[in-house]
Amino acid sequence: MSTVNTWTSTQHFWLIILGFFVAFLPRFIPLMLFTKREIPEWFNEWMKFVPVSLFTALVVKDVFIDSKSYQLMFTQVPEMLAAVIVIIIAYRTRSMALSVITGLIGVFLLSMVI
Amino acid sequence: MNKRRPNPKRVPDPNEPLWRSTLRVAMPLNLSYIPIGLACGILLHAAGFNTLLTGLVSLLIFSGGAQFLIATMLTINSPLLSIVLMLFFLELRYALLSSSLSPYLKGQSNRFLFIFAISLNDENYAINYLKFATDKKWTGKEALLVEHYSLLFWAMSNVIGSLIGSALKIDLGIVNFALTALFLYMIVMQIKNRLTVVICLISGVLAAVCMMITKSTLGLVISTIISSLIGFGLETTLRKRLPDSHWLWKLRGPGAKQSAVESSDGK
Repeated sequence: MSTVNTWTSTQHFWLIILGFFVAFLPRFIPLMLFTKREIPEWFNEWMKFVPVSLFTALVVKDVFIDSKSYQLMFTQVPEMLAAVIVIIIAYRTRSMALSVITGLIGVFLLSMVI
Repeated sequence: MNKRRPNPKRVPDPNEPLWRSTLRVAMPLNLSYIPIGLACGILLHAAGFNTLLTGLVSLLIFSGGAQFLIATMLTINSPLLSIVLMLFFLELRYALLSSSLSPYLKGQSNRFLFIFAISLNDENYAINYLKFATDKKWTGKEALLVEHYSLLFWAMSNVIGSLIGSALKIDLGIVNFALTALFLYMIVMQIKNRLTVVICLISGVLAAVCMMITKSTLGLVISTIISSLIGFGLETTLRKRLPDSHWLWKLRGPGAKQSAVESSDGK
């Protein structure tokens, strides 16, 4: 995370505008359509697996993939251990804030020890 | 949210103004947004966003995952198109959330649906879905208020985080783990049966392979499409051929009063 980004505020602004559309349309279009007619079953059944697939992929990227070379790495031991802690906390408490905070404290303490 | 269910014996005061009764419902969520919003604001600041733009992105995109992702992808200098494409797939899950709320919002004007869609996100969806399903008096109006409270707390925490980020020097590697933890939490919340755990494993392996091949975050998009289709295919086949296969057994966390389901399967 050492490289400093060179984008200007104007570029950030356009990123936000484009981001707004890709964030807004998936929320709005189904709401528009399905308050007027029925939801097709297959669409729901398929969409059900999108979040879990994507989140897992993102976690794998954060923990096991080197952000520069895109090669597999097993060197982030504090993150790996903290991830296990987060899973346990999330499973037991179902609290988002508690999971995130324990994860942050966990990775902080573990990276001092390891 | 299950744990913070209000005491059932307490009768709600019929004279309580609407803004207060809905604020009471939204408060646990609002409070949990503060630490995450602060972390997000700090990271966005580190990625070069100024405080004004941090406020704007929180109001317009209003998604923890998406904003963390923007921050991370900017620090590794991803191109604009790649970030927007990644955001699109990340936000596609909202199609599912808004479809499932649509039965409760039949008959609302398009203008209402527009405003409702802008401030919808994972967490206020969870609250509103639960309220719509359990509380007959819960209407679109109350739901929209809950959304706006959470939006307000989220945007404020982000802006304050951005200011903290400009005042203090913070180890970003650690703050960045907030995103990983957030996604882990959302995975755990998504796990409904044993099949989902299998899909997680498939998706994890596929993601690593696809990213190593494409050498970019495009691998994430490809692996997400493939593994969600595998999940869809597997479940449809299982339902048809082996309707009582143990892979479809429900898994419930202790938060939801678990009976005797092995907890070791949750991982």
